Amino acid sequence: MPIIPADLVHSGGMPSAAELEAKLLGGETLLANTPDHLIEVVDVLNSYGEVLDAYSTNLIFQAERQLLLPFPLFKYLDGDNSPAKIWRHLNHDRINFEYAEYCMKAMLWHGTGGLDAYLDSEPFAASCAAIISKKTRRDPLLALLHPLFPSFLIELIRAAATTHALGQFWRVMSDLFLDLARAEADGQMDSIDAVVEFLKAGLVAAAANPITYGVEVAGEHLWVLPPEAGLTFLVDVAVPYVEAVFLRGMPFLGTVSFNAQAHQISPDQAQFAYGALYADPLPTMGSGIPPSLLMQDMYRHLPERLHSWYLQRTRGEGDVRVKICMSFQKSMFCVTNAAIRGTFPHPLGSTDPQARSANRAYAAAWASRLAVARTDCLAVKPPVA
Amino acid sequence: MPHSIQMVWLIPLYGFGSVVLSLPWAAGWIRRNGPRPAAYLNLLGTLLAVVHSSLILQQVWQLGPQHLEFAWFRAADLDLRIGFDLSLTNLAALELVTGMSLLGQVYALGYLDKEWSLARFYALVGFFEGALAGVVLSSSLFMSYFLLEMLTLSTYLLVGFWYAQPLVVTAARDAFLTKRVGDVLLLMGMVALSAWAGSMEFKDLYVWAAEADASGAFSPMAGTLLGLGLIAGPMGKCAQFPMHLWLDEAMEGPNPASILRNSVVVTAGALVLLKVMPLLRLSPLAVNVLLVVGTISAVAGALVAIAQVDIKRAFSYSTTSYLGLVFIAIALQQPGIALLLLFAHGLAKALLFMSVGSVIATTNCQDLTELGGMGSRMPATTTAYLVAGAGLVGLLPLGCFWSFGLMVEGLGSRAPFFAAVVLLTNVLTAFNLTRVYRQVFLGPAKPKTKRAPEVNWLMALPMVILTVLVALMPALMARLDPVPGLASFSRITAIAVCASGLVGVTAGALVGLDTFWSRSMLQPLRALRDLLAFDFYTEKIYRVTIVAAVAGLARLTVWFDRTLVNGLVNGIGRLSLASAEGLKLVVSGQLQSYVLTVVAAIVLLLASLQWLPLQWFNR
Amino acid sequence: MLSILLLIPFAGVLLLALWPGRPAEGRMRTVTLLVLGLQMAWSLVVLARFDPGNSAMQLQESFPWVDILGLEYKLGVDGLSLPLVLINGALTLVAGICTRDIDKRPRIYFALLLVISGAVNGAFLAENLLLFFLFYELELIPLWCLIAVWGGVNRAYASTKFLIFTAASGMLILGAFLGLALYTGTVDFSLTPVTSERLAMGSQLVLLGALLIGFGIKVPLFPFHNWLPDAHTQASTPVSVLLAGVLLKLGTYGLLRFCMGLFPEAWALLAPGLAIWAAVSVLFGSLAAIAQTDMKRMVAFSSVGHMGYILLAAAAVTPVSILGAVFQMVSHGLISALLFLLVGIVYRKTGTRDLTVLHGLLNPERGLPFTGTLMIVGVMASAGMPGMAGFISEFMVFRGSISAYPVATLLSMVGSGLTAVYFLLLVNRAFFGRLAVTPLIDPVAHGRLDVNLAAVAPRETIPAMALAVAVFAIGLLPYGLGKLSEAATTAMVQLPALAAALQTGGLG
Repeated sequence: MPIIPADLVHSGGMPSAAELEAKLLGGETLLANTPDHLIEVVDVLNSYGEVLDAYSTNLIFQAERQLLLPFPLFKYLDGDNSPAKIWRHLNHDRINFEYAEYCMKAMLWHGTGGLDAYLDSEPFAASCAAIISKKTRRDPLLALLHPLFPSFLIELIRAAATTHALGQFWRVMSDLFLDLARAEADGQMDSIDAVVEFLKAGLVAAAANPITYGVEVAGEHLWVLPPEAGLTFLVDVAVPYVEAVFLRGMPFLGTVSFNAQAHQISPDQAQFAYGALYADPLPTMGSGIPPSLLMQDMYRHLPERLHSWYLQRTRGEGDVRVKICMSFQKSMFCVTNAAIRGTFPHPLGSTDPQARSANRAYAAAWASRLAVARTDCLAVKPPVA
Repeated sequence: MPHSIQMVWLIPLYGFGSVVLSLPWAAGWIRRNGPRPAAYLNLLGTLLAVVHSSLILQQVWQLGPQHLEFAWFRAADLDLRIGFDLSLTNLAALELVTGMSLLGQVYALGYLDKEWSLARFYALVGFFEGALAGVVLSSSLFMSYFLLEMLTLSTYLLVGFWYAQPLVVTAARDAFLTKRVGDVLLLMGMVALSAWAGSMEFKDLYVWAAEADASGAFSPMAGTLLGLGLIAGPMGKCAQFPMHLWLDEAMEGPNPASILRNSVVVTAGALVLLKVMPLLRLSPLAVNVLLVVGTISAVAGALVAIAQVDIKRAFSYSTTSYLGLVFIAIALQQPGIALLLLFAHGLAKALLFMSVGSVIATTNCQDLTELGGMGSRMPATTTAYLVAGAGLVGLLPLGCFWSFGLMVEGLGSRAPFFAAVVLLTNVLTAFNLTRVYRQVFLGPAKPKTKRAPEVNWLMALPMVILTVLVALMPALMARLDPVPGLASFSRITAIAVCASGLVGVTAGALVGLDTFWSRSMLQPLRALRDLLAFDFYTEKIYRVTIVAAVAGLARLTVWFDRTLVNGLVNGIGRLSLASAEGLKLVVSGQLQSYVLTVVAAIVLLLASLQWLPLQWFNR
Repeated sequence: MLSILLLIPFAGVLLLALWPGRPAEGRMRTVTLLVLGLQMAWSLVVLARFDPGNSAMQLQESFPWVDILGLEYKLGVDGLSLPLVLINGALTLVAGICTRDIDKRPRIYFALLLVISGAVNGAFLAENLLLFFLFYELELIPLWCLIAVWGGVNRAYASTKFLIFTAASGMLILGAFLGLALYTGTVDFSLTPVTSERLAMGSQLVLLGALLIGFGIKVPLFPFHNWLPDAHTQASTPVSVLLAGVLLKLGTYGLLRFCMGLFPEAWALLAPGLAIWAAVSVLFGSLAAIAQTDMKRMVAFSSVGHMGYILLAAAAVTPVSILGAVFQMVSHGLISALLFLLVGIVYRKTGTRDLTVLHGLLNPERGLPFTGTLMIVGVMASAGMPGMAGFISEFMVFRGSISAYPVATLLSMVGSGLTAVYFLLLVNRAFFGRLAVTPLIDPVAHGRLDVNLAAVAPRETIPAMALAVAVFAIGLLPYGLGKLSEAATTAMVQLPALAAALQTGGLG
């Protein structure tokens, strides 16, 4: 039996937690700075930005216009119910909004951070009661179900609130990623570090943006997430999003057994490591791998430069969506990198020993989580090449 | 004969045809657009099947049973035909198959909304549905076998749908092989019957069996073997002990397929058993085996179900248990009751699995111990569970109550033991359903159920429709009723059934969940729970018996091949071609030696023919 | 008419030999494919001229060749040989198409391919024992060369083994033919059945025994199968396709045409033993296949098992069983060719056929998903899944044999069940799971491995797709093949069945 050629099977190096911590504290980027990486990250974020734009629009549409509808048949049409659009929808010639809902569900289900805490608060219960009393007056089905299942509608409104918040979050991210691509096209972006800086600046600038959500019910505007709740972009939505989607994620039916006796899934959601930074890109487009939807959406919006870059590598068009996933993972490491940079408790250059040790602890916490992620894609010679 | 009946051959083709239509998406030839059109096409095909089968049902209602045959293959004395038996029973089963398939497919659209391989899934379901529709209508043993085997294949492919998941790899294989054991035994029985009886049409076979039985020309041994072969297929399909393991493993597959598998596949298997039942008159032993297998499956299945912590498995074992009761009814010549029980169970179990599916979709969790407090937030799911549970347990006047009543009444005087088995199964099932209900829907929310919004409408709608159907089941059963009067059982029987259900529910409501679930400190209790939780260690027993035997034989064979056969050959090779170094001769040298050997050997052979004392042979 | 079937390939050989200069491999390939296509087309012409209702030899052609030796050039075709001629035409074409990257002497390679094809046609069409033997031997040497020159690393060992076995096979067959002439005193080497009036039973048994072993080696049947797995593992994909799909059929054809056809009485006497031999062969092949980790060896051992059904059918001599044998020859030809093609694709893309190394090849983007799908079709067909060619063939074999030899038939059915076991092992190990091409079992290291396999071009799977379509076609519409062969197989059964009836009636 011939020996398997080494170039068929190889893995990138996995940096240790200490290495990662040093990089974070030293202000270095996690992703190695190469021209190829720059193309991959910028262009993938460009297509991601376009996809997020559609996701965000739809999530906001769903939360504002489809709230508590029993049969939301047209929820992905953004209010444009023309025959042409319906035909495209039926022919599945569209963005896979299901993935946006999947991310929303991950956020809702993991339930970390300020937004989730607010969903359990008194003021939130009061706004729900107001909306429900308006809704049940006009909808006999809801009127019947609400007394029997008192938490039913509240839970749906919680989901809608998360949907809207995610839509707002992605609105900012979409604009940021598209700006990044524009800046790179203008020649202002020459290194991975510049990309990370740009992202960090964007995140920091949007950090204090208020997150609010109101709906029209029977011609009346009602707040679900009122401005008084004081929810903000970075702490209450971005951080829980990173926790739920980048880090924890949800187990994929296609790779993990849900069998209770097999004990493959931890009972503690905090221990989950199924997120974007941990995922294995190879099974992309296989069965039971939800991010395939995102890869397909990005594939349909792939910038020409990255597309031709992919065509020259491995199977060309044949495995392009796996390559997108690999590039996407790299770009998500950059976003995480930017988020960590932007959230250090003290400036990195600080000489105050207390500040330094606080920073070190912060970096160490991140490094220990990232050390078991798919950091093999960060090396100079990535597997794709 | 109306067109709708003449075109009955189309019914399986709706499913199979949809498979072909799904190919462009399933094979990935359409790259830019998603796979949903394939799902819509399959839904359309199934809808056509539903409409067509309803039309036929209406016609047959007026015209009486019909039979259609088409020639398929005839050679020598072999005559294989495609036959459809359009009796009310078969058509009701067909309605169940197509209707459940339609609901299941709508449900799947919601359950698998993030699934990129949707087209492959729907193609497989279409294949599944086509084969099932054929099996229930089939009028010949050959065609039934043909389609049952296809069903085995589609089960393998559906369980293997998430082929990259490590446990699926073994689950799909084991599911196929366990069913295959039953199928091969059935094949043996079918081939033997085909050779002995000639025709493969059930009605000809019945005549043949009656004659063979009357004339006594058939040896009891052959009859017994034949009977065992014939029941092995349905036993495998209905997941009866000891061939029940595949159903547990099949739970690794997608839930919409589990819905169909636990309701209609097992029903189709039982229908085939019903069809071969008149042949078992040749084999009293096979009937006894059916009774034993049915009893063990009914009671042990229900017991094992109680010890499961996995929500899907808790109910898949209950399927084994109910089909055990069906086996008992069939073996005791109560086909009408068996059918009622099948329909009542099929619908209710499908609904139960829909409810379970929405719990899993909402919580990403199948572990009962991590679930709780979902009742007040998920109206469709909770109602579905309650109605399905009521439909399964003999307590409230829904489907299974009437079936159990009739069965207990029918068996009470003739076979009180089996009546007791029915009641015991009822107790255990009620217990199981109640304890799962408490675990999942009552109590405080756990971390994984803290945020549990109701599932999307594509899952909720079929669930609600089926809930209504299950609630109306007694009315449906009364129309279908092949026995005189649905309520033709005594008050005492009704009380017995209700009481057994009540005992189960009460016990399930009182049992301490936490202490029961964490492994008990008491050694005997703990051993018992482990014994049940691991399904009497059936898998392990298989591994150390059959699997080990086959693997051992295989190793022995290879050893024999390597050392003896190959060794001998190499020895001869060395002798005839001087040495291993001799092999490095140039091509022409080898050719020469080859020709020389041939010539020399032929001369030797001819010479030996001369000298051999052939006269001795010739006498 | 029939001579043209021989003329086309041998003319092709001449054309290749006389082609001026040093033509490129591609040109040689094109010429060969044209010749093989022409041969296939002519086979279809023969099919069109063939009268399926007639059980006798048709389209006969003859002229005396070497009178003194009894060697007559006499060709004819009947319902037994015609399907095999068609299979030969189709599978040599497939072998030609899937030939790639001939690194040395392409001219000789393609010429040998054509020689094999012509010789096999000759053997199937020959109506003279010596003529059959000539063609039978003529096909061996090119095949040996194909393994010995274009084979794998251990090709010297495998090809020598092949040579020794086939030499023995040839000499036994020739010896039996010569012995027949010698004992009956007729040197016309015709296909006339031998009766006990003409030749004593003892001599018949000896001659039949020699023939049985001779053809048993070729089929191959246990314990003469030993050359096959080695030959397959060392042969290149097209050669494996030919070997399994066409050349093994010479053995089963010989069993039916010569063993059963020439010695009906002795055959009837030996039949119970042959049925047991068949069952042993089936079980041996299946069990040995379970323990294999090389995909090609596994498929090779499955051949040993599946060819055993044909001996079982031949032993039973009923119209259904013999027709089933023809079906089984055709479907085994198609299915094993399909499986070898697919294993060949896997081998070319991954560099290994080791089942402990390959995982998850169904992966849609980086794996070999289409090959995997076809592989599932192939193994299911081989395992006797209804709707495909394997099922109807096996069903007819079993159905025709069970009355005569119930135990042997039931044991063979167990073998059919075991087919599912080893082929599911193959599919589940190599195609399911996470894509990996590594013997490592450490899950952590495992999960972090990248895999870059070359993509399978559509043209690489076209031959396999065509075979899969044929497998479905025969499985769903067996009527055509049945009609083609039924008259001939029914006629073939008469003599041995009569002899069997006489023996059971006479002896007991």
